[in-house]
Amino acid sequence: MALLADLAQNTLDGLALGASYALLALGFTLIFGVLRRANLAYGPAIMLGAYAAAWTSMNFGAGLLILAVVCIAVAMLAGAYVERLCFAPHRGGAAATAMVASFALWMQLEELATLALPRHLYAFPALYEGAPLQLGPLLVRVDGVLILVITAIICFLLWRVLYATRFGIAVRAVIDDPRAAGLAGINVRTTFMLVFALASAIGGLAGFLIAAADEQVTPMLGMWSTLKGMLAMMLGGLGSLPGALLGGLALGLLEAHAHWFLGPQLRDFLAYLLLFVLLALRPPWMNTRSAS
Amino acid sequence: MQGAMLTVRELVTAYGKIEALKGVSLDVAAGSITCLLGPNGAGKTTLMMTIAGVLKPRRGSIRLMDREIAGEQPDSIVRHGIALVPENRLVFPSMSVLENLQAGAYQRKDPIEKDLHNVFARFPRLKERASQQAGTLSGGEQQMLAVGRALMSRPRLLLMDEPSLGLAPLVVEEIFRTIAELHRDGTTIFLVEQNAHMALKVAQHFFLMEQGRVSFSGNPGSLAEDEVIRRAYLGSAR
Amino acid sequence: MDEYALGVLTNIGLFSFVALSAYLLLVAGELSFGQQAFFGVGAYAAGIATAMLGCSLALAMLIAALLGSLAAVLVGLPTLRLRGLYFAMATLAAAEMFRILFELLHWQVQVEGEPVGPDGTQGFRGIRWIFERGVQPEEFLAMVWVLLAAVLVLFFMVERSKLGATLRALGEDPALAGALGIDVVRFKLGVAAASGALAALGGALFAHHNTYIEPRNFDIMLGVHSLAYALIGGLGTALGPLLGVVFDLGFLEASRLLQEYRMIVFGGLVALLLAWRPRGILDERVVHWLKARFFLH
Repeated sequence: MALLADLAQNTLDGLALGASYALLALGFTLIFGVLRRANLAYGPAIMLGAYAAAWTSMNFGAGLLILAVVCIAVAMLAGAYVERLCFAPHRGGAAATAMVASFALWMQLEELATLALPRHLYAFPALYEGAPLQLGPLLVRVDGVLILVITAIICFLLWRVLYATRFGIAVRAVIDDPRAAGLAGINVRTTFMLVFALASAIGGLAGFLIAAADEQVTPMLGMWSTLKGMLAMMLGGLGSLPGALLGGLALGLLEAHAHWFLGPQLRDFLAYLLLFVLLALRPPWMNTRSAS
Repeated sequence: MQGAMLTVRELVTAYGKIEALKGVSLDVAAGSITCLLGPNGAGKTTLMMTIAGVLKPRRGSIRLMDREIAGEQPDSIVRHGIALVPENRLVFPSMSVLENLQAGAYQRKDPIEKDLHNVFARFPRLKERASQQAGTLSGGEQQMLAVGRALMSRPRLLLMDEPSLGLAPLVVEEIFRTIAELHRDGTTIFLVEQNAHMALKVAQHFFLMEQGRVSFSGNPGSLAEDEVIRRAYLGSAR
Repeated sequence: MDEYALGVLTNIGLFSFVALSAYLLLVAGELSFGQQAFFGVGAYAAGIATAMLGCSLALAMLIAALLGSLAAVLVGLPTLRLRGLYFAMATLAAAEMFRILFELLHWQVQVEGEPVGPDGTQGFRGIRWIFERGVQPEEFLAMVWVLLAAVLVLFFMVERSKLGATLRALGEDPALAGALGIDVVRFKLGVAAASGALAALGGALFAHHNTYIEPRNFDIMLGVHSLAYALIGGLGTALGPLLGVVFDLGFLEASRLLQEYRMIVFGGLVALLLAWRPRGILDERVVHWLKARFFLH
């Protein structure tokens, strides 16, 4: 029975963790789906947002809502910078070049953040300041539930935007076939920029939620967000938005259980092993579109 | 030339060092069906793509009525009133038939219900499949969808690149019936076709393209049909 | 020359190995985020060989190269048919798995009363070969560069040969290469093995230069850096990746003033450079032009 309780607890924790992974993956997938490129500066842009929010909190004691806005706004600004410098110039060329350029900006943005706030760790106001709820033998963290709810709302909103607006038609057309989209009269360049902004906004929100749930920001946030976003995206099938959601949740669940039973290192090892094996076997759901 | 909807002069388009269009000049008369014939590799698709803005020309001019449009972005070209039905259809496979049509009307600011109604009236099979994913349609249905999508932008000039490619003879007849109907309803059509026989039955004027240049221009009947067909498929004897 | 400068020059030399390993894969058309794994395999293997098993450096480097090759083939086999970002992600996943394995590796032996060997996240201390043999920094530097020169000569020879042409053909258009009768599978595995060996050699040298290694040395940063060196320096010649390494590590030396802002400046410069020259400084066109101008080769 203790085992069952453990499994249930891990599942709960895993879902909350997975929700933030899902948000990261959604942003990553939006960019990848539309531009066919991986944005390695995604995490660092989010980190810059989180650091800006931390700085605002330290100097102005602002409330959570303001911090969320700051985080999202700065992440979007950083995202626009990355888009202009790394992706706009390489539209027709090799994906590798754009990705390495985004890596260069990863280094740049990360260093900017750590120069502004040089300590190894900064406190961040908590998302929820109470004790976890007790549900029988299970401990339910309220901030975890909050993140799940917010993620669900974002997913719903994204779904409506993509399937019930004119902009959504443009985005899905560009994802299907950028050339045909241009021929249909869609401004592909503007669509790229807007999708990038949207993805950065979602990433910024994810960063804020993660920082507030952890009650801290560290310099590792940048690399960590990028890796988790990419992992979750690939687990769910490259370029598929529902896949990103499922991939994120699955990754969260896997990590929660593996961490409990096997420890942090094997937890990470298993996640990478799963990805490697999936890529090697290439089950049908992973081949949504070409990635070169 | 008076009454020309589209005027192309000395158009040069290159891929790196290779010039696919070596100085193309032609006119498409307003209200006509004009046909572009020629062997594979002559540059017909390159010409269509250049007019549509997907490719940028090195040199030369493209005028739509009085307006110079060479080198503009594809969405701009649609705004000016040109729509291309591309080779291989290029429908949006993950989107429904209806959404494909809505995409075609992207530039439109006014209500599009009437145009949707008209497209469905013209292509009843599309109406049946309105909520079906475009990727699951047959070749002929996708071709109709591609034409319908192009019509949604209310183009003054409709470009069509190989609409009969890969389709069964009965479907091809249907396509050409549609082309004739569109012409009757006032749309100017500039058509690339491998199927010279069918094309010459509907066209008022045709051009022959070989190796990046226009090699012949005339009306159906100005050359014996088998001569035209021979040159369309094989190129002229050197 | 002071010891710091010697150290920088040595690092330029040995990081060139891993940059060349990424370059080789790029020329063959594959994007790898994982060469750091083989650099690490080489470092640990060579360190264990000399510090714990008493081997000579030459033998240690041979073992390192062999194990590096093997590891690369192990990663390459299941991922053969992957392309583009899928392949890149697979290499990243594999490299992270290796890094975690380094974190889990605990094996120590007593050497002169001291425990020596990999100790998980604490790292591997005591790779004291250079002290035991009294090797001076200048001598180690010379050794690194002689080895690098030999590797470069090998690269130049391959570039001029049919093998080199086949490799570039494979990179440009694998479908065409296959249609022309090239055994794409065998080639890709060969390239993987060679790149693994190269990176491992660099790692072996790194381990002995630093005398201390830890799993953190072999993280994704190193992998993407190697890739960046090859892409910035240029894919036209094996000197390209070298140029990339010099650009980064040499830039560090030249701008001690900017050291605090090194990443910011360097990162921005790289992005701008790539916007201007997508195939790197010494790309194929420039190399062709240089060769024609100076009648080289």
